[in-house]
Amino acid sequence: MKTVLETRHVSKIFGGLVAVNKVDLVVPEGAIASIIGPNGAGKTTLFNCISGFYKPEIGQVLFNGESIHGMLTDKIAAKGIARTYQNIRLFKNMTAVENIMVGFEPHLEHGWVAAMLKTKGYQKEEKYIIKEASHLLHYVGLAGLGDHLALNLPYGAQRRLEIARALANQPKLLLLDEPTAGMNPQETDDMKNFIRHIRDDLGITIILIEHDMRVVMDISDQISVLDYGQKIAEGTPKEIQANPRVIEAYLGPGAAALSEKYRKEKTHDA
Amino acid sequence: MNKQSLQKSAASGLVFGIIVIFLALIGFTVVFSGLIQKVLGQSLGVGQIPRIGNFFIFLGFLGIWNGWRAARQDSHESLTLPKVLLRAFVAGLSAGVLVMVYAVVVGGLDARGVDMRTYLSMLSSDSIKFFLFNQSVAMGGLIHVGFSTLMAVVGGLLAFGSEKSQEQVKATRTKVQNWSQRTWLGKVQGNPYVSYVLMGVVLLLLVLLPRTWGAYWNYVMGTVGIYVLLGLGLNIIVGLSGQLVLGYVAFFAIGAYTFALTTSPEPHNLVWNFWIALAVSVVAAALSGVLIGLPILRLRGDYLAIVTLGFGEIIRILLKSDLLKDFTMGPRGVRNIAGPTLFGRSFTSDVDYMYIIILAVLLSVFLAKRWQESSIGRAWLSISQDETVAQATGVDTYKYKLLALSLGAAFAGLGGALFASRNQFTGPEDHALMVSINVLCLVIVGGMGSIPGIVLGAFVLKGLPEILRELESYRLLVFGALLVVMMIIRPEGLWPARRPKLERPVEPDQEPAAVAITVGGKQ
Repeated sequence: MKTVLETRHVSKIFGGLVAVNKVDLVVPEGAIASIIGPNGAGKTTLFNCISGFYKPEIGQVLFNGESIHGMLTDKIAAKGIARTYQNIRLFKNMTAVENIMVGFEPHLEHGWVAAMLKTKGYQKEEKYIIKEASHLLHYVGLAGLGDHLALNLPYGAQRRLEIARALANQPKLLLLDEPTAGMNPQETDDMKNFIRHIRDDLGITIILIEHDMRVVMDISDQISVLDYGQKIAEGTPKEIQANPRVIEAYLGPGAAALSEKYRKEKTHDA
Repeated sequence: MNKQSLQKSAASGLVFGIIVIFLALIGFTVVFSGLIQKVLGQSLGVGQIPRIGNFFIFLGFLGIWNGWRAARQDSHESLTLPKVLLRAFVAGLSAGVLVMVYAVVVGGLDARGVDMRTYLSMLSSDSIKFFLFNQSVAMGGLIHVGFSTLMAVVGGLLAFGSEKSQEQVKATRTKVQNWSQRTWLGKVQGNPYVSYVLMGVVLLLLVLLPRTWGAYWNYVMGTVGIYVLLGLGLNIIVGLSGQLVLGYVAFFAIGAYTFALTTSPEPHNLVWNFWIALAVSVVAAALSGVLIGLPILRLRGDYLAIVTLGFGEIIRILLKSDLLKDFTMGPRGVRNIAGPTLFGRSFTSDVDYMYIIILAVLLSVFLAKRWQESSIGRAWLSISQDETVAQATGVDTYKYKLLALSLGAAFAGLGGALFASRNQFTGPEDHALMVSINVLCLVIVGGMGSIPGIVLGAFVLKGLPEILRELESYRLLVFGALLVVMMIIRPEGLWPARRPKLERPVEPDQEPAAVAITVGGKQ
């Protein structure tokens, strides 16, 4: 299968702290790949390296086989990587529809002169993206809320709006940073199905940072585990669940043995 | 009755006392009493002390306000009469006692023959006696206490009354609304022709007024118009794209000097046609915006503000310097700048200039509106909200910031050229830092990103000082106080920007396949 994203030995160093340490990641097309790990493991830093917020000190980021190392974020977005943020970052004082319309920016063809003269082509383009933005709004389940300011939307709607804005970029790869943070079980479930829909309907490859293990185990094709900036495990959900290093990273040294013992006792009792 | 609310009343009373003392120290009490006297239609010579009665009116106003404020501490609680009276009494008393202490100290010093003017130039013996109501020191102090308390109680009663009548007011308001909706008023609202008629009336006024209201108002309103141009430009830079540029006056100067140097016989003897020079000035300002923007627009926030602040000053100092004396005439400035001509006729009267400025403003408003409501305006706004995210969403922030700076500068260039032409003179001191600050103020006061707000802001900032001329040297003080009050009452500006409604209904059968095609397919 074709590889969409590949990181080779990516390292990001802040002063003396190695936040991401020689991480290799290969994401095949159409996959939902999750990155998990304890707090401060470097997950978001890795996202920032991929989307161009940070320039890794060492290593390469390849998107569709092409190096995007050191490119500006807008160029990377135009190439087809869109993202959302851990703490929601919308354009707060713009309406929901406008937020999405900004997402179409890399695909706009008309400049300030056309806008001044209101040329036919410009008007057509505007009409088109207004229509498309309304469609996207409907798609993420926010139909009817389009003319509200982003800051006035409820929390869950803001998360969805962020995704809609990212989808407006028409990406090939979507980076979701904790999309279910702060949601109740019902909302989390909806979001999980929604993420799956994005992949199935639109064929967009997704990389997911997520703390909710039920979500991760349910929808991931591939899971990578980071701890102290290093990738300590990779595999399918089943493999990760059984991996002693992962359990120790989450629960501390010795936890793997304990959990093994617990599992044996449980099967014994049964 | 709890202690806390009484403490609050006392504190707010003390604040009012301090205000009165402050106003007395700077001599404002005398000037304002004089103004009241004039407003009431009595004459007052220059340097004359006004009548005491007017001072009572002034103090009474402050005292009522004091009592009103003290009575309505918490908007949620329901007021009772004894509560209100006690609070207002405490506030009035504490204000009065504080003022009395001041009056006794100053009055006592004055009575001993100390000349207070050595320390505070406004505290003449006359003004101190005026503050003591021309009574003895002790008597004056006591009158202050008594009057302050009395007025505060009146204020408290008024607050109580208004609180009680509020419901009635609300009922009346809905009644009026219902009535207006049922009758022809309801039909007028929301009828598109109404706005056309309104526009026609405004246009008619714009045509007629400059002919009728005389040279002085044409001058004042011409200045307002030029500031509208500047405001529209800075609004693009600060209000829309969110780049805090403090050296905006530099573009104004570049426009004015380009126009001046290309049309004046001195120093270069280039006597270009008005319209060509005007276009060249606009282009020169826009180009300078690009040139300045290229190196500095990578900076953000405070750093950008400081660098552009420096840029504005550098331009002014360069214009003034000996270095460019042969080129820009140095501190003397450029004179004999040309006026507009059309088909061999020259239009140089104040009315003609007013018309040209009005035309320029209308054109600029049109262009600014076009850009603001376009995809360009949307991209600018996204940058001002969150630059990092805007870029990651695919907005070429550098390009858009550069565009904002050069388009904003073009408006300033137009304003500068008209300014130079109208005055037939421009010198380095026309382009001081205060211009930048004033324009920034009018953008903020009017409402960031709102075009009607900018127009209103320009009227308030440039027109109001003319109206306040009666207050003489206290003009700027009152003006500043008004600005502060305005920003407290309407922090988002006088006429805040609204976002357009854009969402279109989606037919259910088009979903979700349509999205799948457009989102995944257009690649």
